[in-house]
Amino acid sequence: MRHLLWMALFAALTAVVFGVVAKGSDRQRLIYGLKVLGEFLAVAFILGWILYFLPLR
Amino acid sequence: MGASAGRIQPVALGVSSLLNCQGWEGRHLKDRRDEFVTYEASTYLHLKGQGTHLVAKEINRTQDKAPPRAWLLGVAAWAVPGLGHLLQGKWARALLLGGAVWAMFLVGLAIGGHLFRIGPNDQGFSATLQLLPMSANFGAGLLYIGCWLTNTGFAEQAQRVTYEYGNTFLLCAGLLNYLAMLDAFDIAAGRKQ
Repeated sequence: MRHLLWMALFAALTAVVFGVVAKGSDRQRLIYGLKVLGEFLAVAFILGWILYFLPLR
Repeated sequence: MGASAGRIQPVALGVSSLLNCQGWEGRHLKDRRDEFVTYEASTYLHLKGQGTHLVAKEINRTQDKAPPRAWLLGVAAWAVPGLGHLLQGKWARALLLGGAVWAMFLVGLAIGGHLFRIGPNDQGFSATLQLLPMSANFGAGLLYIGCWLTNTGFAEQAQRVTYEYGNTFLLCAGLLNYLAMLDAFDIAAGRKQ
């Protein structure tokens, strides 16, 4: 659970910076930041489940 | 009239025989010398017998050259995350960018991450391997330099569960501050609002 929280915090902070430095109106940048956050989280979940089924041990 | 900027050539400057005009937002156009310059593209004209061309008045060929103030603000933005925007009166951006970078750096240190540097024991390829992560850490500006001067945060704590997370936070704090620095520079140079 702790890993998930650190990953979510990382995604949130990175999305803030990406959203702020993006071009466009405030609304467009907000949407972009939320999109980046969602993509970070979604990719992390997908990769996490893929790695779960791989016999890496 | 929907031609893209890339296909439009400013064929004449100061032509007054306008047959038709439409509003046109200023943007970068490629001129005959294959240089990107900024034009005050306020008119979009039909020239009789020549098809459609953009006739634009060049306003400032040196606009793309950043003023010294922009470089200073860029350095300030690198040195103290958020300061570059703060000095330009962009309070909200300064708070968000500075807050995110500071938080990422401090959290990274708190959860066991370590900073990179080229130490006396790093020779040859080992030193080269340290160079890239050190460059990323260096993006945090005075935060990194302060840690370097006080020898804080350079000890590896690989036994901690969040060690790799901490490293990632510290590396990305520096990299994101490079982005913030470029943003502050662009705003100061007038390339961005």
